[in-house]
Amino acid sequence: MTQTKQTSVALDAPGTKRGIDRGALVAWAKEQYPLYILIVLLVIAGFATDAFFTQRNLTNLILQASVIGIVTLAQFIVVLTGGIDISVGSVVGLAGVMSAGLFSGASVPTAILVSLVVGALIGSINGYLVAFRGLEAFIVTLGMLAFARGLVYAFTEGIPVTPAADNFRGIATATVAGFPVIGLLWLGIAVGLAFVVRRTVFGRRIYAVGSNKEAARASGVPVKSTLLGVYILAGAMVGFAGFLLASRVGVGTPTAGSLYELDAIAAVVIGGASLVGGKGRVFGAVVGTLIFAVISNLLVLLNVSTYLQDAFRGALILVAVFLTTVQFAKRRKVTKLV
Amino acid sequence: MQAHAETRTVAFEARNVSKSYPGVQALDDVSLTGYAGEVLAICGANGAGKSTLARMLAGQELPSGGSIAISGYDGSIDGPADADEAGILLMHQEPVIIDSFTVTENVWLKNLSSADKVRPWGIISRKKADATRAALHAVGLDNVSLGRLGSDLGPGLRQMLALSRTQVNPHRVLLLDETTASTTEEHFKDVLALVDRERAEGVSVVFVSHRMPEVFAMADRIAVLRNGKLVDVVRTSETTPAEVMTLMIGEAVSALESPAPLVSTAAPVLEVEGLSSGSADNVSFSVRPGEVVGIYGLVGSGRSSIARSISGNQRRDSGTVRLHGRPVSPKSPRDALRLGIAYLTEDRRREGFVKDFTNGENLTLATPHLFSRFGVINRRRESRRVGEMIREYQVKGGPSTFTRTLSGGNQQKVIIAKWLEARPDLVLLDEPTKGIDVGARLNIYQIIRALADDRKGVVVITSEAEEALMLCNRILVLRDGRFVGEHHPADSTTDDLIRASLGGDIA
Repeated sequence: MTQTKQTSVALDAPGTKRGIDRGALVAWAKEQYPLYILIVLLVIAGFATDAFFTQRNLTNLILQASVIGIVTLAQFIVVLTGGIDISVGSVVGLAGVMSAGLFSGASVPTAILVSLVVGALIGSINGYLVAFRGLEAFIVTLGMLAFARGLVYAFTEGIPVTPAADNFRGIATATVAGFPVIGLLWLGIAVGLAFVVRRTVFGRRIYAVGSNKEAARASGVPVKSTLLGVYILAGAMVGFAGFLLASRVGVGTPTAGSLYELDAIAAVVIGGASLVGGKGRVFGAVVGTLIFAVISNLLVLLNVSTYLQDAFRGALILVAVFLTTVQFAKRRKVTKLV
Repeated sequence: MQAHAETRTVAFEARNVSKSYPGVQALDDVSLTGYAGEVLAICGANGAGKSTLARMLAGQELPSGGSIAISGYDGSIDGPADADEAGILLMHQEPVIIDSFTVTENVWLKNLSSADKVRPWGIISRKKADATRAALHAVGLDNVSLGRLGSDLGPGLRQMLALSRTQVNPHRVLLLDETTASTTEEHFKDVLALVDRERAEGVSVVFVSHRMPEVFAMADRIAVLRNGKLVDVVRTSETTPAEVMTLMIGEAVSALESPAPLVSTAAPVLEVEGLSSGSADNVSFSVRPGEVVGIYGLVGSGRSSIARSISGNQRRDSGTVRLHGRPVSPKSPRDALRLGIAYLTEDRRREGFVKDFTNGENLTLATPHLFSRFGVINRRRESRRVGEMIREYQVKGGPSTFTRTLSGGNQQKVIIAKWLEARPDLVLLDEPTKGIDVGARLNIYQIIRALADDRKGVVVITSEAEEALMLCNRILVLRDGRFVGEHHPADSTTDDLIRASLGGDIA
């Protein structure tokens, strides 16, 4: 039983700068279960149907994965603090219809701003209740889930909202060298978020709060404002995802984003983050999203019935949750040795 | 004497038992025999391995080497269930009382798992009521009503309630692990009477403690552990507390000379006036730069409340705290840190360090501003400084080792280093060597003394008289939330401190 394998690449000892550190690489590779799952899935997909590895299908896959991918990133930072946000789907819907409908959706920049503000505002309410009133994130965001979706129906009266701007679909349909812009936006946000959580004081605090709130507070970490910041940031990201979804569809649909919370939470967990908080990487959340997208895509290509597709996705969530218990058992053994 | 010894029946036997954790050899080749109808005390300083030994006898931990045999039980003890079966009853230092259970349910707690003995979850048949009252009577709890909830009872009553299980759970061996740490004198008499009865009934009682008066009041034999090794087993009638104390502490004490009282006219770093918070009641004291002030008292005397309320970890009811003559009232540890007050927690696991953080991340947690610009961490500067800190404080393990995998002593060094990086003027240390082995202890003592040499104000809260005398220029004894005396290491003994903290004679 060695304890020395418990290394992290976060802080290398001075003097290991030159070349690629093989030990760190091996340690990194050992933790990339989600990546291996994704690779295996891609191989299976390639053998299962010729239609998978086509430009058309892959573009389609990226388009579908991008919006939920951004929502997953938002979910990821909330989960990192040990919280959970089940209102993301409703906020996607609310931000979508508001950006398409408010100011009659005449200008794209305004629409983006509206979606960001709506998301951040809802995030700040969630964050205030969780951080400053000490309420359970699950209950708070459950209420918000119903509230925001209710607002969507009140605002649209159940009818899709058509924006006035001609170029409303512009962002979602544009490509750069054949790659969809919406996918690049997802990638850009992922890289930016990775920088925030790994390289900034704010990010360090997120991990500290998620891992051990008491220790963080006792060490001078502003726990409450860190939590509030996380929920606002997550809200803004979800809001932006709502705009992108409306932009892709071309209208603000009242039912948009329904059940996104399930996919987002499942993708975060499959990506290796711990629902208890304090553990997980942005890269994992991205891979988790892709795993989900590939499976959904494959089921469609293989003409699996829509009803069965839902069952598949549900089963995947159960498997993901099961996998976390396996990780838990491993961790418990380690702590017992201490 | 010889004839008497031959009639004794062996109750349990530990043969060459060892236990090691990463970085710590908690027990090293210990062989010990307990006899029926005898009280055996296991003494040792904190970290000597006495609780480890007790937990192993109770099947809560398994030895890394050696074996434990219980007379009348054939199997080996591989877990708490086996220990139950073998008739071993362990009383923890922190009594196991379920807050939301009634007194009755708590008395029968160990039987609730088997439905044939008592029906589960509170449906305890009325026939049991008499037995419950009898059990409570045996530990002096006649006035406690059976329907009260565990949460309604104070620490002393909780301990006695746990002890009442000796009456309803048949056992051959009774382990008392520091059980009297939070009992009052009145309850201590009940414990004493209980132990006497157990002895008369032929139970082998094992009493784990480092409190000499209690050990000498109870035990027939005393086994002394030091640094994981069994130093000696002596008969109580043939020894003195001073002798046992010397066996317990060994040579380690003489490594540091007791400091003289500080002669200084410098303005105090800290002045506390009429502070009330938690169980601390209207306390006043001051600390000068370069002075180590000890606060010595029993658990529950309000020691931690004083430090926690000064450092923004706990609300203050009344009183003023002045830092460099300026009144301050930090609302959070963050405020306190900005003012230059650092508080080293008693509860390392909960508040000391972040469990999923590496040494590097924990070391810089309190001072991110030193390693960042516009909120972005400068990793090169951070890792360079972390490397320096690890060398300076002799922390085992590198910057990327997880702090939780270290031994208690090394964890403590990481926590101290984290705080000192913020360059505080006042350092409050709450039980800085709790559960830390002797080697690391000296190391931590040296760090604390170096702080004083660096002209900082230092407050050390401790429940160990030896530690207070070794470390502090001045010792304030706290009892029931009030200071009851000031002692100087030069003209005080551990006995003086213990007496003052207990409030008179015991034993």
